[in-house]
Amino acid sequence: MKKYLFCLPLALCFLLTGCGRYAGALPYGREIEDMELIRTLGVDVAPAGVKITASGGDQEETRVVTGEADTISAAVLALQGGGDSYLYFGHVTQLLVGEALAGEGLSPALDYTLRDVEMRLETALYLVQGDAENAIREAAEEGSATERLEALAADAGLTAASMPRTVKDVLADLDRQGASFVPAVTGDGELSAAGYGILKGDALAGWAQGEAALGVNLIFSKVDADVVTVTAGETTAALRVVGAETGVRPLWDGESLTGLAVTCRVEANLAEGAPMPDEETLAALAAALEEVEESRMERALALAASLDADYLGLRPAAALAVPWRKSALLEEKGMAGLELTARAEATIQRSYHADG
Amino acid sequence: MAKDPARDIPPHPRREPRYPGPITAERLEEIFRDCVDYTVRPVVLGGGTGRGLTLCYLGGMVRMERVSDYLLKPLARDGSLAGCTPAQQMTRMEQGALYNLGVARRHSLDQVVSDLVAGWCVLLFPGESAVLSCFVGTEEKRSVSAPDNETVLKGARDGFVESVRTNTSIVRRHLKTAELRIQEQVVGRQSQTLVDLLYIEGLTNPHLVEQLAARLKEIDIDGVFSTGAIEEYIVPAAHTPFPLVQYTQRSDKFCAGLAQGRVGLFIDGIPLGYLAPAVLGNFLQAPQDKSSSWMLATVLTVLRYFCMLTTLILPALYVAMVTFHQEMIPTRLALSIIAAKENVPFRSGFEVIVLLLAFEILQEAGLRLPQSIGQTVSIIGGLVVGSAAVEAKIVSPAVLIVVAIAGIAGYTMPSQELGGALRIWRFVLVLLSIWAGLFGVILGAAALIIHLAGLESFGVPYLTPFAVGTGLHAREHVFLRRPMPEIKLRPSALKPRNRRKQR
Repeated sequence: MKKYLFCLPLALCFLLTGCGRYAGALPYGREIEDMELIRTLGVDVAPAGVKITASGGDQEETRVVTGEADTISAAVLALQGGGDSYLYFGHVTQLLVGEALAGEGLSPALDYTLRDVEMRLETALYLVQGDAENAIREAAEEGSATERLEALAADAGLTAASMPRTVKDVLADLDRQGASFVPAVTGDGELSAAGYGILKGDALAGWAQGEAALGVNLIFSKVDADVVTVTAGETTAALRVVGAETGVRPLWDGESLTGLAVTCRVEANLAEGAPMPDEETLAALAAALEEVEESRMERALALAASLDADYLGLRPAAALAVPWRKSALLEEKGMAGLELTARAEATIQRSYHADG
Repeated sequence: MAKDPARDIPPHPRREPRYPGPITAERLEEIFRDCVDYTVRPVVLGGGTGRGLTLCYLGGMVRMERVSDYLLKPLARDGSLAGCTPAQQMTRMEQGALYNLGVARRHSLDQVVSDLVAGWCVLLFPGESAVLSCFVGTEEKRSVSAPDNETVLKGARDGFVESVRTNTSIVRRHLKTAELRIQEQVVGRQSQTLVDLLYIEGLTNPHLVEQLAARLKEIDIDGVFSTGAIEEYIVPAAHTPFPLVQYTQRSDKFCAGLAQGRVGLFIDGIPLGYLAPAVLGNFLQAPQDKSSSWMLATVLTVLRYFCMLTTLILPALYVAMVTFHQEMIPTRLALSIIAAKENVPFRSGFEVIVLLLAFEILQEAGLRLPQSIGQTVSIIGGLVVGSAAVEAKIVSPAVLIVVAIAGIAGYTMPSQELGGALRIWRFVLVLLSIWAGLFGVILGAAALIIHLAGLESFGVPYLTPFAVGTGLHAREHVFLRRPMPEIKLRPSALKPRNRRKQR
């Protein structure tokens, strides 16, 4: 017992040597107050290769720093050497990719996020219409890009034309169906939602904006509160779409796949309009809503057909409906030659009226 | 050549008998020489004029009224005694000529000396080798009152006192069964302390009683002046800071333990009752759990376990997270911590260690001082110095909050011993977290679990029932305190002779 007691102070002395901090088997310790937490990271094309824009700071002030190098890792290293604080990327919640870089391919940015020890796959990914650096710097003048994008993600269900997507989602899509989509934001300091950028392979192939973006949300059943104004006969009403449920069904000609049918059941409430619509009027309003929603989905599907990219994941979704024909559905990834149809079934659930 | 350390320790032989020789007044005077309280009084029997008896006692240990009324008065008034031979006198007094309740014939000097010290008085008869010992002790003791250290909200308020006999009488009043057995042993060469072993025959595992009795018998020390004098000898306390026997001042808790099949222990002079065996779960149960609603008791028990984990690992977790694993901290909290630690000159690990030490010092100072001053020290130390240190940027508020939460969570432990053990391990975990972050914390936690899993209290694994199967029908109070009518059985780990406790 005495010899153990003698060893104890000696063992505790090892804690004071500092050797443990550099031992390979142990984690590397760094005080939190010596760090600057980076919240938003932007990646753009630059003459040297890539340009990194990091936005961080404390609760009162936003600081933006940039660095250039031939690779993202080298650019991040260059950033580290520039300041007195250690830039910590473990709290990056948004990754913004400039339009030019997206045109060349997102693989470097996605691969960096996948492999870096600090970055997380749950990081939200955005395409910027223009330069990511400009967008981040302009946003920092009136707050921060982080706050703007967090607000955008929180309101995604309300706008019904934008939904957050993570690096993990996009990587999984690209691996599974060779195409994906990423929410787009405007390149000004507002960072407003601007539909989706469609990726084919890993490069930007097109944009889904306006009605097409609304169609994307419908196909993904991501509608919390979209207001649609429809006219049926002499009645004009504002309908609040509060839910959508979409299914994909393959169409076959014998053993060969001929098309994919998308069916969306939409639920809506009467927000404004006729004080007490009768059954006939309600049915007419529902039919008008179906027409609008079908049109939106058709626009989104038309993009898939024209780009020959299954960015909506229709084939895997159909494979889930008929798993016994999964191999036939997933053996190809393109959408060319397939008949893509959309059908909406609207239900107006309830209404409130003053004299009722 | 290495020196054998055992040779440096002198022998410690036990002399038997301790006081050899015949029982005579001269021999007793020799034994109690230079003792001002040793008193010898010749007694002439009623009607007699010749040589009488000799009465010996220790002043202050006997009650004078008893000696006068129960011994001297009958001896003076009974005229027939003077006409008897000393042997006849002794027999008559033993049979009732004395009014005293406790009269015993003693044949050895050891017994006589022991009686005198315990408050008996001794009557020596001329020409006789035996003597009569009569119990006339003062029995001065503190009155039975509510326990000081254990708050009683709903329950019996007759807490244990320093007199072992009073304590056994309290137990007898609660447990009126005739099967309640009280064995007594004398421990301590100098203190000659009475240690009583209590159990219910036909219910308690007899092997457990034998084991505890044997361990008590093996104790050969100078005296029992503190609880550790017994505790550390009956359990392997040298190997662990965790308590392996439970103590209480509450009679209801003690009696409930006996009825559960555990063995109780009383030490004369110590106002506590001990219960053995004791496992970790026992130290996380409060006596009022049995008085509260089962739902409330369950919630409070779960809360206590949560507090145990909080007090143990929160400071270590904080150090690990702010030093090694910053990604674990929610972003807004991380920003708050960074803002709070701005301009603080010390590293997080050092801050935590210093504050934990300060907390211990404050606690120790508060305990050692009188209650009123102790509270002042706590207020000055905790509030004034704490807030001044934060304002002066010597420590960060985050660390202060973490240490305070860990400290307060520790106070929810019903057992001070368990709380103390957790405090020691808290330091170990913090040191390990400074060294290796969460890996260190996990390493320390694993070592703690291994340590606890290796402990046994009188053959019962310390982590019962977490690490040991307790049978299919185990419904003991661990996390969930079931309604009383559903708890039909006594804990199987105690191996009671009668498992069933109710219809």
